[in-house]
Amino acid sequence: MRRGWCAAPLALLFFVVVWPVFQLFRQGAGALSFDFLGDPFYRWRLAWTFCQALLTCLLALGIGVPVAWVLARFEFPGRRMLTRCLMLPFVMPTLVAGIGVLALFGPNGLSGINLQDTPWLLLYGNLFYNLPMLIRAAQEGFARVPATRLAAARTLGASPWRVFRRVELPAAAPWICSALCLVFLYCFSGFGLALLLGGQRYATVEVEIYTLVAYELNLTDAGALALSVMIMTGISALIYAWLEMRLGRAARGRAEPRRRTRGWHQRAMLGGALAIVAVFALAPLLAIVMRAIVPDAWGVLSDEETLGALWNTARFTGIALVSATAFGLAHAFALRRSAWFRALSFLPYAVSPVCMAFGLLLLYPGLGASLIMLLSAYTVLAYPFIARSVSAALDAVDEHLPAAARTLGASPWRTLTRVLMPIIAPALARGMAFAAATALGEFAVTLFLSRPEWMTLTTLIYQHLGRPGAENMNAAMVLSCLLMLLALLAFIVIEWPSRREAPCSN
Amino acid sequence: MLELKSLCKRFGARTVAYHLDLAVEPGEILALLGPSGCGKSTLLAMVAGLETPDAGRIVFDGEDLAGLPPESRHFALMFQDYALFPHLNVLDNVMFGLIERRVARVEARERALSVLEVLGLAPHATRDIGTLSGGEAQRVALARALVTEPRLILLDEPFSSLDAHLRLALQSEFRQRLKQLGICAIWVTHDRNEAFAMADRVALLHDGRVQQCATPGQLLAAPANPWVARFIGFNNVTEHAVVPDAAFLLGDEHPAAVIEEVIAQAEGAKLRVRTEEGEFVLQLSAREIRTLGARLQKGETIGLAVEAGALIRFGAGPAPESYNR
Repeated sequence: MRRGWCAAPLALLFFVVVWPVFQLFRQGAGALSFDFLGDPFYRWRLAWTFCQALLTCLLALGIGVPVAWVLARFEFPGRRMLTRCLMLPFVMPTLVAGIGVLALFGPNGLSGINLQDTPWLLLYGNLFYNLPMLIRAAQEGFARVPATRLAAARTLGASPWRVFRRVELPAAAPWICSALCLVFLYCFSGFGLALLLGGQRYATVEVEIYTLVAYELNLTDAGALALSVMIMTGISALIYAWLEMRLGRAARGRAEPRRRTRGWHQRAMLGGALAIVAVFALAPLLAIVMRAIVPDAWGVLSDEETLGALWNTARFTGIALVSATAFGLAHAFALRRSAWFRALSFLPYAVSPVCMAFGLLLLYPGLGASLIMLLSAYTVLAYPFIARSVSAALDAVDEHLPAAARTLGASPWRTLTRVLMPIIAPALARGMAFAAATALGEFAVTLFLSRPEWMTLTTLIYQHLGRPGAENMNAAMVLSCLLMLLALLAFIVIEWPSRREAPCSN
Repeated sequence: MLELKSLCKRFGARTVAYHLDLAVEPGEILALLGPSGCGKSTLLAMVAGLETPDAGRIVFDGEDLAGLPPESRHFALMFQDYALFPHLNVLDNVMFGLIERRVARVEARERALSVLEVLGLAPHATRDIGTLSGGEAQRVALARALVTEPRLILLDEPFSSLDAHLRLALQSEFRQRLKQLGICAIWVTHDRNEAFAMADRVALLHDGRVQQCATPGQLLAAPANPWVARFIGFNNVTEHAVVPDAAFLLGDEHPAAVIEEVIAQAEGAKLRVRTEEGEFVLQLSAREIRTLGARLQKGETIGLAVEAGALIRFGAGPAPESYNR
């Protein structure tokens, strides 16, 4: 039975990820002479891609760690609400984020500052996604430091600052490092943001691959570039998976209680932290809403084009959700207590959507027009969320519970339906919400395999952006606003768990 | 009623059972006593059907249980951590087994409520599992096990996560309930006092075998071998016999013994002495200490003899019960 569980996800991963990537390697390796590195243009692309990922990591570290510390140590009205809001960017489609940044700092942006054609636009977009993620992770790490350990450090003569440096930071370091790995991974293989915000000069390698394949049909150079991207992302995904497995060992003991702020400097710290969260996590979303509230602009919703895209988005998301749930559950039940199978669920993170789509095109040229290929790509991108969420919940289940159910007369099937499924249901719902958000905002694969009849909300927004005129800009804003509201639904499922589940949130 | 016949089980290099024989009589509470990690819990899991023995048979009422899945054995197993279902409230936990046994919901509810009533848990019926105290969770687990009227109840260290005070109160309550219902029980524990207080008979488990299975009184009167004697708490065990405290004669007319160490205790003291026959540990009462007075110091001597007739020799004395009575 165990083996049966494994088969489905393994087959999916093999045919949609491993085999296409292998194909890509062959394509790349066939002509691989690294000649392309002689071209200063490619050299710049690779160097900039690396630099912007690294810069984002450094900025996120510098800004995020102090904010996380403040959120972990101080109690203030609305603190839970705020930590929930930190999850908001994570479920937002890249297109929404990109449009939000443009609405703020693009030409005619709300801020009045035009950052177009500077690297700051892309860096700000990167931080919108990654800063909140790092803050959440670091805060988790800080919140778990046992109070007695801090007290011990103080009695041994450490000042609050020294306690932070010598006790708290090392304790939170695994969380921070694993988040940094993800930041690097996302930024290095980011596509949507770089396409929208990078412009000519500050786009990333992924955008270059897309341009080479879609417009110049230069598969050789694209293959070589994809190869270099995959090596980088593979390394950081490996480091991330390794760090993540070490996080299981939580420190024992009661956590340091959060205190109300006292004195002006503590209040200033809190104020600063709140301002940073507002500027980086919330401002772009608010900007979209403000730009979308324009008279007449909402007429775009009744366009035939829009309705078609909405229908596509709805059915792709629905089908992807169903199959991702099936594969995710199979993977989660199969990977119980098997480390290597667990590592496999990180595989889709390690391969960027663009590389995957490129590989799929190379491998199955005949299927280029088939929905199966698009939907399997959607499934592969969405199902790890379900697999990981459910398997974490399964790990937390007391191993005696199934045994207790058996001795009370429940058959294996009844044990599954009456004990295990109800317990993992909240985790499954959360995983499904993430999966739905992923499918909803899917952009890279859809664009890569793009066919007019597969137009989704995201690709439609991108089309509107490419067309001239304020009307199209307004349409893009309105559609982004709509997409944002849909993603908000997923966010609500994720962050407002049912009463029973609340205490065991991990 | 339940018989384990020549049971064998090993996990890699660890032997849990090696041709182990054991029998439980109807209505009996049998304690499985042994050091931590000797495989007591695995033995329970094999009886419950959660683990498969490598060899040997498990027979209940003349029926060989091999291949019978746990849900069909109609045994209840109470876990050390209680294994209450966190997604169900107290009443639903207790009803779980009844519903699996196809009892109609209305009746299941009534039966569950009546068991909760008996155990004093009726006011807590709708509470969440997470809000229960240790003692309450324990009684819910017992209610859940008892309500299905199992043929045999298996208890895996049911008191180990409770504090000493609560443990004493619940122990006698548990014994009373089981006796009232006349349910046959196997009680795993590593606590000697608990086993002696609770069980009709105690089976001592060591090295994958039952070293001795007898009533607490018989165990104390005639331990089968040095390991058993030491494990049930005798201080002075030689290769061939136990020297019980009653065998020591104090008085100046006896040969001198050198005091090596005095260990003060809440009541009286322990004395480690060296004699020509070897080293002994003596348990002294407060009165004896007063009689000895100032001589009770390291390096001093006291008069001490061992009464040969009071020794308990292994394999002699009143014959120890055979495993299968």
